[in-house]
Amino acid sequence: MRSGLIFPTVVLILMVALSPATRGQSSTSLPSPMPDISGVWLLEKYQPALFPKGGAPLQPWAEEKFKAANPQTNDPNLACLPEGVPRFMFVPLPLEIFQVPTRVVILHEGIEWTRQIYMNRQHLKDLDPSYSGDSIGKWEGDTLVVDTIGFKDSTWVDAGGLPHSEAMHLVERIRRIDHDTLVDNLTIDDPKAYTKPIRTQRTYKLKSGWEIEEYVCEENNKYSHKEK
Amino acid sequence: MKVYLAVFSAVAVFLLLSLAAPTYAHHGISSWFDMSHSVSVKGIVTSFDWTNPHSYLYADVKDAKGAIEKWTAEMASPAMLKRSGWRSDTLKAGDEITLVGKTSKDGKPMMLLEKIILANGQELATGQALPAGTAEGGKAPKE
Repeated sequence: MRSGLIFPTVVLILMVALSPATRGQSSTSLPSPMPDISGVWLLEKYQPALFPKGGAPLQPWAEEKFKAANPQTNDPNLACLPEGVPRFMFVPLPLEIFQVPTRVVILHEGIEWTRQIYMNRQHLKDLDPSYSGDSIGKWEGDTLVVDTIGFKDSTWVDAGGLPHSEAMHLVERIRRIDHDTLVDNLTIDDPKAYTKPIRTQRTYKLKSGWEIEEYVCEENNKYSHKEK
Repeated sequence: MKVYLAVFSAVAVFLLLSLAAPTYAHHGISSWFDMSHSVSVKGIVTSFDWTNPHSYLYADVKDAKGAIEKWTAEMASPAMLKRSGWRSDTLKAGDEITLVGKTSKDGKPMMLLEKIILANGQELATGQALPAGTAEGGKAPKE
């Protein structure tokens, strides 16, 4: 090769070798497309109690609290208070998942409650305990991994009355296993209330064409046990 | 005759249920309604609450002696009922219907409605594969 062409040739080779296209990225450098878990979903099967035959690994004080819980009289949800998280994910009414750059937002028809999963930050410092806790999320491949802390301890873990402490730590792995099916694998880690973590799974089916409707819980609630 | 039989059957089932009801241990207490079988009563709609968290159907049911028993049937939310074909004007006062559902364990004339059968024979299920509740509160089995 003529010496005068060596330099431009080397430059050209380097340009091609180092270009985004060659390195497998799109020329506009956009991030990989986010998995799509959006849509209206409904629990496939209602499983109100995590331990239908008993045997939850409760700490002694939590066992006493569980014995005092009565789904017919003192379930906070009877007074239209939010179920809280994770029970939010066990409610047999449709929920809609929206995905925006900073958040995954879950709008639940029952009781018109919303969960926000922040995709752009870590847990806040000095969290005020809340019904839903503070949820942060990240994608691991096609699985949304959600980490939640900062709970009020007044909610029930399930409809059977299992308690939890403010120190509960919830990890969920949410994955759309096929077009019509979403699975949430939940790990409830609360050593203050339980002697070991609780693992459970819920499956949801896509409800094409369904819209989330209004659900004003206090409209005609005959089960409220709130002190008047 | 049909009404008599339906009401008689309902009352008989009621009595059997109340006599046979076991005393549950605390952790055995389940829902307010006996989920083990369905009961049928025939009556006349007096009013229909199309509301959250539950819709309610009120009907006058005649017993064997012709006395009126006021029944309450609890249903799902309007949104869930609509997904099973109900509308806010599906029922009105004066409609003759048969109510089928799970009756109250305490013997009161209340039921968790599963379906209605209209005078023209049309059946409307409530689509409640899942038990009713304030979202779900109150109906979940303790264990």
